[in-house]
Amino acid sequence: MGKVVAGIACSHVPFMASPKQWERLPETERTHLRMGFERARKILEDARPDVLITFADDHFDRCFYDNLPAFLVGVGEEAIGPAVAGFDIPNVRLPIPSNLARFIVREGLEGGVDFAFSEELALDHAEIAPMMHLTPRWDVPIIPIVVNAFAPPMPTPRRCFDVGAFIGRCIERWPETTRVAFLGTGGLSHWVGPPQTGKINEQFDRWFLECLTHRRIDEATGRYARYEDLEAVAGNGGHEIRDWLAVAGAMPQRLHPEVLAYEPLKPWSTGTGIMAWSSE
Amino acid sequence: MSRYQIDKLLRDLRRDGELAAHFRTDIETVLDSYKLDAEERDLLRRWEIRALYDRGVNPLLLLLAHGPAAGRSMQEYAAMMNPKDRQPGE
Repeated sequence: MGKVVAGIACSHVPFMASPKQWERLPETERTHLRMGFERARKILEDARPDVLITFADDHFDRCFYDNLPAFLVGVGEEAIGPAVAGFDIPNVRLPIPSNLARFIVREGLEGGVDFAFSEELALDHAEIAPMMHLTPRWDVPIIPIVVNAFAPPMPTPRRCFDVGAFIGRCIERWPETTRVAFLGTGGLSHWVGPPQTGKINEQFDRWFLECLTHRRIDEATGRYARYEDLEAVAGNGGHEIRDWLAVAGAMPQRLHPEVLAYEPLKPWSTGTGIMAWSSE
Repeated sequence: MSRYQIDKLLRDLRRDGELAAHFRTDIETVLDSYKLDAEERDLLRRWEIRALYDRGVNPLLLLLAHGPAAGRSMQEYAAMMNPKDRQPGE
């Protein structure tokens, strides 16, 4: 049987890939963020996952309005990235356990989640930037899942939680002995491109983190269920909390949520957070 | 307003350095490849990003295309998005 062994959710601001950008952060914030990533890295390492299932969104580098799935699962032999170079994002190549990826897709299509799938789904900064800090040896195979959290209309926050929960149950039905960790990336509040670019809503971010920490899922998914409402309070980048909610959905009760770091980082124009679900 | 065509052009400018260079030197030829009306062509020609945003063009694509297409800085982008006759973030 498969087993869900840990979950991490964190921001994926591409600046985190660049040492120069880390130097721009005030020392206290930089230290808190580094310590948060270090704890998250240790939690993942101690959980000894055989595969990391990622929920991340795109930035029009993998999907566009000509073909835009709500949930897209990479099922090929390997995942290569970045889709578009920049921001000091390194080139990476990771194996995909495609038998498990295909199992999830088939379970979904026969059980109520209409996954799209791709034989050549590239990775992007949404996965690579945080993984530079979480799995720096690049030794954990990956199943990348791209969630439409960037191009409205999008799946609702509740739907993202429920799809995560569905995949968590898939893992329990998987007949092989496989340890699975989840990673969701993006958010928290930030505005990318509109007039408010640079704004951060710390109050929203802390409310959302508290909801996940206390498993108040109805509140986290219901208060800003319409994408216009979420965008008004958390920005067009705030939609990425969908990736966090998918991880929260996949977590069994025996794994405990906690916030490892949160900083409203002005130099990175992003409310930047890290959460973990672990047996600690 | 053919928002999709503008979004598509911005996506292409972000991904294709040759197209972006062409956009800066021979914009009319590039615009001819997309289904745009006269107003849209004019806004793109003058790189009126705030007007494009106000007409529903995706702001992430505007930001991503700004450097390659206009060869201008992010500080200029912020200033163009927040003209002086409006409140910040309006």
